[in-house]
Amino acid sequence: MGNPNFTQVGRSVPRVDGPAKVKGEAIYTDDMVLPRMAYGKIKRSPYAHALIKKIDYSKALALPGVLTVITGEEAPNKWGIVPQTANEVALAVGKVRYHNEGVAAVAAIDEETAEAALDLIEVEYEPLPVLLDPQESMRRANEVKIHDDAPENILHSGDQLFGDPDQAFAACTYILEREFHTSYVNHAFLEPQTALASYDVQNDKLQLWSSTQVPHYLHRQLSIVMEMPMNKIRVTVPAVGGAFGGKGEASPADFCAALLSRKTGRPVKVTYERSEVFATNKGRHPCQIKMKIGLNKDGYIQAVDFDNTMDGGAYAGWGMVVMFYTASMIHLPYKVPNAHARVRRVYTNKPTCGAMRGLGGIQPRYAMECMLDEMAEMMGVSAYELKMKNAVESGYRSVSNLHVPHSEYKKCLQTAVEKSGYLEKHGKLPFGKGIGLAGGYYISGTAYTLYQAYKPHTTVLIRVDTEGGVTVHCAAAEIGQGCNTVMAQMAAEALGIRFEDVHVVSGDTELGTFDLGSFASRLTYAAGAAIKEAAAEINLKLKETAAGMVGCRADQLEIKDGRFCSIFEPRKNIEWEKVVDLYTNSVGTLVGTGHFSPPRLKGIDLTRGKRVQGANIGHSPTFGFSSQVWEVDVDLETGKIRVERVTEAGDCGQAVNPMSVDGQVEGSIMFAMGQALYEEMKVDDQGKMINASLHDYKVPTAMELPEMNTTIVDSYDPTAPFGVKESGEGPVQPTIPAITNAIYDAIGVRFTELPITPEKVLQALKEKNSR
Amino acid sequence: MYLNDFEYFAPQTSAEALSLAARLGSKAKILAGGTDLLIMMKEKILKPECLININDIQEFKTISYVPGQGAVIGAAVKISALEHDSLIKDKYFALHQAAGELGSAQVRAMATVGGNSCHASPAAETPPPLAALGARVVICSSAGEKEMPVEKFILGNRKTALGEGELLTKFILPEPAPRSASRYAYIGLRDAMEIDAVNMAVNLVLEEDCRTVKNLKLVMGSVSPVPLVAEKIPGILIGKELTDELLAQAAQAACDEAKPISDIRASAEYRREMVAVLTRRVLKQAFHAAAGLKEA
Repeated sequence: MGNPNFTQVGRSVPRVDGPAKVKGEAIYTDDMVLPRMAYGKIKRSPYAHALIKKIDYSKALALPGVLTVITGEEAPNKWGIVPQTANEVALAVGKVRYHNEGVAAVAAIDEETAEAALDLIEVEYEPLPVLLDPQESMRRANEVKIHDDAPENILHSGDQLFGDPDQAFAACTYILEREFHTSYVNHAFLEPQTALASYDVQNDKLQLWSSTQVPHYLHRQLSIVMEMPMNKIRVTVPAVGGAFGGKGEASPADFCAALLSRKTGRPVKVTYERSEVFATNKGRHPCQIKMKIGLNKDGYIQAVDFDNTMDGGAYAGWGMVVMFYTASMIHLPYKVPNAHARVRRVYTNKPTCGAMRGLGGIQPRYAMECMLDEMAEMMGVSAYELKMKNAVESGYRSVSNLHVPHSEYKKCLQTAVEKSGYLEKHGKLPFGKGIGLAGGYYISGTAYTLYQAYKPHTTVLIRVDTEGGVTVHCAAAEIGQGCNTVMAQMAAEALGIRFEDVHVVSGDTELGTFDLGSFASRLTYAAGAAIKEAAAEINLKLKETAAGMVGCRADQLEIKDGRFCSIFEPRKNIEWEKVVDLYTNSVGTLVGTGHFSPPRLKGIDLTRGKRVQGANIGHSPTFGFSSQVWEVDVDLETGKIRVERVTEAGDCGQAVNPMSVDGQVEGSIMFAMGQALYEEMKVDDQGKMINASLHDYKVPTAMELPEMNTTIVDSYDPTAPFGVKESGEGPVQPTIPAITNAIYDAIGVRFTELPITPEKVLQALKEKNSR
Repeated sequence: MYLNDFEYFAPQTSAEALSLAARLGSKAKILAGGTDLLIMMKEKILKPECLININDIQEFKTISYVPGQGAVIGAAVKISALEHDSLIKDKYFALHQAAGELGSAQVRAMATVGGNSCHASPAAETPPPLAALGARVVICSSAGEKEMPVEKFILGNRKTALGEGELLTKFILPEPAPRSASRYAYIGLRDAMEIDAVNMAVNLVLEEDCRTVKNLKLVMGSVSPVPLVAEKIPGILIGKELTDELLAQAAQAACDEAKPISDIRASAEYRREMVAVLTRRVLKQAFHAAAGLKEA
């Protein structure tokens, strides 16, 4: 598999962070206690939309043990992950826009006192009409405005035209139009957001420990809200209990901990309850999608028309970026020569939507893969044949200028279909049993930083000396995805030593060199490129030393299995450690640095050569692909869907740690299956969430787990460092449409609304029988 | 999420517990497993001044069985103990099934059978099989002891027949009749950690021919504030052999008697339909088991 010459990359190794987590010994932010530490709690609004008339916290301050109270006016600077649309504040200023939005925060000597103090804060509100549906929100915008600067209650909208879809549709033999509605789901990570701040009042420095996946972006936002220079702030990421995009922006817990610490001069910790995780959400956008696909008589896609109305909730968050991602995702993994996308991201009085594993891909993929399934049926061919015919290959460039340097997508489709027996089973199983196919892809990083800067997206520093051995420094965030393990593997591969001998220092903006963060499936690729460059510098210097020791030219040495060997005279060789020893003795500690900047690809309409607004989003150095075949058994009396088996095949390039890839794929399958069949956040008519607990918000349990048969297809992207691509967000893409297509095969009903619950199945069966 | 301050008592004998209950009256709540009580206290729904922990009282924690007479299950018997007890599995299968479906493994290790009835949630797992199996609760106070069927003990959502100073101490289950079998089934979105949208238990007895229904009791949960004993089904099935037509009649009767509501978990209409499905399924399963046939 992959590159057979690799010894450290491609090795299945248990994760370095695994044992401590399994044994309960890993230290998460909430486990930390500092001397004189106080506890912070946030007072939340009982209204989803209201003006704040008055906040009186005198009684709270009078409660013994209460140290201080803060309100939004004390830190009114607006923050946001996307600088152009930053509109959030640490605590509401003047107005609340969703139920349970924070309006004040308390620090007290213990958590119990802090909680009791919240009840003593008196807030006077003037309730405003509550808008919960994006269509209603747009319709009533002249009467109710959620934000003053969004007169139509729309954060942003986009119109992207590539080629000439109208003309292309006119010539199509097969045209299908469908509407899809996706659901409002949360990441349901295990560890609620938590932050511990320690403000040094003598030196005006802030140290923050946070459960973040973006230490750098949190660093920037803290600087804005706290009005402090970045070099006075240090962000450290202890063990993180899952994030999935939900910790991909700062949280009010971070700001409240920092503000309360500065005000009290004591360390302050703020840890969310599960209800606060749901209240502050930042989960997946519910989308109302209208899609139209046209095929010529031979089944080649000629045009796609995509209209997407997104329910964004109360604030901007990642919204504008996610919106343009949904538009970009119609251009792959099939060849689409003409496309038109109209997208809008609408404000409502609900907890804000944001980034969630596979962001922007899930919703259009659901529509497109289900529609291609239906169109295959229209044509009388198998969905497999139709998808193979249109699948992209290595070197493909979309009409929107997305460049795919390498693709094994066809191999993914073929493997999943062959291993599952899809062609033998599809359309032939007894009523109630079905099999469905879908494919998908995802980016392996982005082309741009969120704030337009030219700096490298990742810098790695490798330090080699006789004391510490090899240490890789990078401020990347290990959030459970396994980056500390794969960074060590890649560094070991590049240096010619064993992965066990590499230390990784990550998750700290002071100890680590610059990294943008763990999102967009960017880290393996980006860190890999920087590690390769840094290691090359180290190798060059060590080879000069080694050459003198063994008696050959430095450029004729290779490093293998911990030894420097002459390529031409293998008997001339010497242990790696001895070379380091001599180098350190004669020169001192050796360091090498490497950087990674992705290609700055432009989003243009290739037919006209014109820039298209927002189309820079979606470009990536390379893309991962995945295909899944699901088999379901529908209980025709109860409507309950039992997923029996999933056969998956993925192109993640060279797998650095196949064991970790398996974990990512299996996790992805469970994750997306939850949205397909079980999960949905529900709000009442006043915007109050009615299932804000893991008791009532149903994530699949081990009992729902299907039999999984996953394959890492043989792949190596020659343009990528170590041949790598993503593996953590691509495999979530095919799950929902594959399940939906399997349900169609089982009972002849095409579901266009999520989640597909037993009640909906039973209702659909009744309607089908009455026709 | 913090509890109010309370005074804590851990009586070692039932006499101590009863005298505490009599003395403290409505000021006290009984702490058995705590899996419902502590959550309600954390959410400030309840703020008892005193808690009486009954987990140290040995006689409340035992399951005993006398052949020919039946079983006695102490109120503080853990759900997991019930789930794993071989006698319960052998003699009172529906109760074994229901115990295995309650909450998570962690909750089952703490929660108690007495608590599950005293909490009186309409969606509770164990009251329907207890009622179907003819269980009677024993209620004690310092004044004495009384007995009543489980379905009379639970009066409504979070309401029971327990008066001030009274304790539910045990359940008495009669010896199962020969050629009888009990079964439990539920409808929920997931197969674990579910709050049932509908649940149901039946205990069915066959005549010596192993075909004719001699007696049965079917109890529905989560479709009314209390465990609902199906009234018409015995009249439809007793003295008859099970046919698809009779099963359909029985299912319809159960549907007609159910009083479901719409909530976050399911609509009333769906619940009603599921009552029919479960009625057919549990009756068939129990019939096959009682007749010694392989389950359908």
